[in-house]
Amino acid sequence: MSNHIQVGVIGSAQVSPANLNQASLEEILNTLTHAALKNAGMTIDDIDGIVVAACDQLDGRAISIMAASGSVGGVGRDILSTPSGSEHAFILGALRVKSGMYKTQLVLSWSPLEVDSISEIQKLSNDPYYHRALPQDDLSTYALQAGVLESEVSGVRESVIKFTQQSREKGRVAYPNISATPVQEVQIRDSKMLRWPITEGMVCEPRFGAVAMVLSNQDWIKDKQIKNPAWIHGMGWATETTYLGDRNLSDMGSLKAAAHQAYHESGISDPKSAFDVVEVSDPTGYQALLSLDGLGLCDSKDWRDAVHSDRFSSKGSLPVNLSGGATSFNPVFCTGLLRLAEAANQVRGCAGAHQKSGVRKSLGHGSSGFAMQYNSVVVFANLPKENQL
Amino acid sequence: MKIPKVGIIGIGQSHFKAKRQDANYPELVREAVKLAMEDAKIDFDEIEAIVYSLAPDALLGIGNAERLGVDAVSAKNKRFMRINTGGSTGISSLAAAHSHIAAGACDVVLVAGADKVGECGDSQTILNKIWDPTYERALPLGTINMLAMSAVRYMHKYGMTEEDMAQIVVKNRAHSALNPHAHLRELTSVDEVMKSRMISWPIKLFDACPQSSGGCSVILASEKYIKDRGLDAVWITGVGHSTESYYLGDRMGKHFTADHADAHALSEACYKSYKMAGVVDPLKEIDVAELYSPFSNTEFHAIEAAGLAKLGQSPKMLSEGYFKIGGPNPVNPSGGVLCTNAIAVTAMVRVAEVALQVWGRAGAHQVKGAKKGIASGNGGDHQFFGAMVVES
Repeated sequence: MSNHIQVGVIGSAQVSPANLNQASLEEILNTLTHAALKNAGMTIDDIDGIVVAACDQLDGRAISIMAASGSVGGVGRDILSTPSGSEHAFILGALRVKSGMYKTQLVLSWSPLEVDSISEIQKLSNDPYYHRALPQDDLSTYALQAGVLESEVSGVRESVIKFTQQSREKGRVAYPNISATPVQEVQIRDSKMLRWPITEGMVCEPRFGAVAMVLSNQDWIKDKQIKNPAWIHGMGWATETTYLGDRNLSDMGSLKAAAHQAYHESGISDPKSAFDVVEVSDPTGYQALLSLDGLGLCDSKDWRDAVHSDRFSSKGSLPVNLSGGATSFNPVFCTGLLRLAEAANQVRGCAGAHQKSGVRKSLGHGSSGFAMQYNSVVVFANLPKENQL
Repeated sequence: MKIPKVGIIGIGQSHFKAKRQDANYPELVREAVKLAMEDAKIDFDEIEAIVYSLAPDALLGIGNAERLGVDAVSAKNKRFMRINTGGSTGISSLAAAHSHIAAGACDVVLVAGADKVGECGDSQTILNKIWDPTYERALPLGTINMLAMSAVRYMHKYGMTEEDMAQIVVKNRAHSALNPHAHLRELTSVDEVMKSRMISWPIKLFDACPQSSGGCSVILASEKYIKDRGLDAVWITGVGHSTESYYLGDRMGKHFTADHADAHALSEACYKSYKMAGVVDPLKEIDVAELYSPFSNTEFHAIEAAGLAKLGQSPKMLSEGYFKIGGPNPVNPSGGVLCTNAIAVTAMVRVAEVALQVWGRAGAHQVKGAKKGIASGNGGDHQFFGAMVVES
C-alpha cells in the first residue's frame, strides 16, 4: 500500500461459549462486539464501517451477513461481507481505513452454530457436474495435498506428527479449557485414519468460535493515545486456480504471491529472520509445514530438523502458532481471522498465557477453500513504518 | 482528507435473458469479463486484483461458487475476494474495489460476476431463507410480500394508487425497449399491468422484476494509471453505504426504527455519496439516475431517497413526466431492475449504466447531455443500501 495513511489493530476479542443453547447467534455477536470495542477503548459510535465474514451454507441463511447488522451495530452504518474468507474481511477493513474514507473499522467473523454435517456442506462447493459426486470435502483436499507431500518430502509424516504434538502442547497453554487432544505422538500417529495420510489425531474437531478486530488510522491512534497498536506493515492476498487438477498441490503459488506482496510492502528481504512470532494456517500439520515453506520461513528440506529442535517453540528462532493453531482450536471458517488476531495480539502484548515477551514483528497467515485455495498474509509491527510518518 | 480519484475504464454486460442454457455459470462470468476487457483495451497482466460479485450461493446451488469463478476472471495468483450483501452485492463489490485503489494497493481492479436466477427454480423459495429461521422465515416472508407491505404503507402514508405503480412499469418498459441488454423489452400499458396476475397485493406480475441470467463486469483504475496511458474514463466521485435492521418487525408498528414506506438507509447512502462528490442539490445537479427498484412501488421511495423528489411527491412528478428519458430527472433509462434482475450483478449494472450515460455511450437510451449521475443498490431484506455518484 503506497499512500501515507497507516493502519493499526487497536482492539480484538474472541468468544467460544461452552453452551451454545444459552445464547443466540445475535447475542453472541453482540457480546463479541462489545468486548472488541471495550478492548479498543471505543463505543460503537466511534466505528465508521464494518466488514463481516460468514458462510451462508454453514449458517443456514441465504445471506448470513443480514443477521449481523443489528447485533454488531451495523444499523445506520456501512457494512460489507466477504464470504470468500474471514481473513478477507480483515484485508478489506484495512483497505477501507487506508483509503482515507474511514477512520475506523470493525471486522468480525464466526463459525457455524448447529450444522448437521460440515462435510456435506463443504461438498456443495464442488461444481455440480464433474466433482460433486467424488465426494470432496475440505479434509479430502488436505489429504490429497498431504499425499503429494508424502511422495515429495522424505520423512514428512514424522515431521507432521511432531509438529502436531508441539501445537497441542502450545494449545494447552493458550486455550486450556478447549484445546484439542491427543497430545502424545503415538496417538496422533496411530489413531483412526480419516483420509490417508491424515489421522483423526492430526485434526481438531470443529468448535464454535467468533473473532472480532478493531482497526483505525494513525490519527485515531495518536489522538486517543493508544499505547499498543499492532501496525500493519504489509498485506498480501491471492488465489489458486479453481480445479485441484490444474494445481501443483505442493507448490503454493498463491501463498508465495501473497507473501511477496506483504514482504515487498513491509520492506522485508529476509523473512526467515524478520519475525518474532508467526501464526500460520494449519488445518493439519501438513498444511502448516507447507505454509511455512510457501512463506519462505522454513524450506521443506529443513522441516525435519526444525520440528526436532526447538525452532518453532516460544524460545526458538521462529516461534510458530503459539496459540496452538487450528489443530488445537478449530472454529471453522473464522480460523483465518483468528490467525491474524493472534499475530496482532502478540505484537500488542495481549495474547494471554501464550504471550511471548518482546514481540516487535509478527506474521499472520489465513487460508480458505479447497487445499488452501485462498491465501492472505499480514505483517504486524509494534512501531509504525518510519518512512511514512 | 482528499480521497484519490478512481475511474471506470471498461464495462461489459450480457444480453440478459431468463435462461442462458448455452453457457454455464463460469462461462457467463467470462462473457462479461471478456467484454469489459475489450472495452478497456488492456491486457489481463494489467489486472492486479479481482473483486468477485456474488450474492446468495443458493441461487446457483453451489456453495462458495466464487471459487468456480476464479478461472473465469483469470485470477490465478492474484488478489481476489468475494463480496455478498444480497441484491446490493454489485455496488458493494465496486465500493470494495474502489477501496483497493483509493488505498493505493492497486492501480487496476476487475469487478465481475454473473447469476442464473432464471434457472434457479423458484427464487422466492430460496430468498425466504434469508430470514431468521425462528421468527420470520415461517410467516412465510419473500422479497415480494416484504415490499408489498412497503407499498401498502406508502399508499397509506402518501396516497399512491395501483395505477401510479403501473405508470412506473410503463415508463421503464418504454426505456428498456431501447436497451439491447435488458431482459424484458416489450412495451406495456397501464391497463395491461392492472390486468396482470396478482402476486401479493398490490404487487402484480408486471409490477415485479423478472428472474434474469447474465453477467456484468466493470474495470476500475487509478487516476495515475488512466492519465499515464491516456485512457478514456469516467469517474466515481461519491461512494456511500448504509444499513437498516434485520427484522422487518422493527420497521412496522408504533415504535418502528425506520418507516417501511420510505427508504431511510438508502437516503443515508445516497447523501453520503453526494457529500463525497460535493453534490449539494441533487435535483439540479444529477442528470441521470439508475435506482435499484425491483418492484414498481419501490422506485417511488428510491427517487425520494435520492433527493430527486420530496417524500410522497414522486407519483405526482412521474405523472408529469419528470422521470422519463427527455424529462428533467430521468430515472432508470435502462429500464432498471424492473426489466432485468440477475441478482449478483444487478446493482453493478446500475453503476455501469450510469457510467455509460455520463460517458455518452448509452446508445438508444442515452440521456442527452448527462454529465453526472447516481446509482444505487438494495440488498438483504431491504436492508443494505449502496450508492455511487459517477461523473464524466
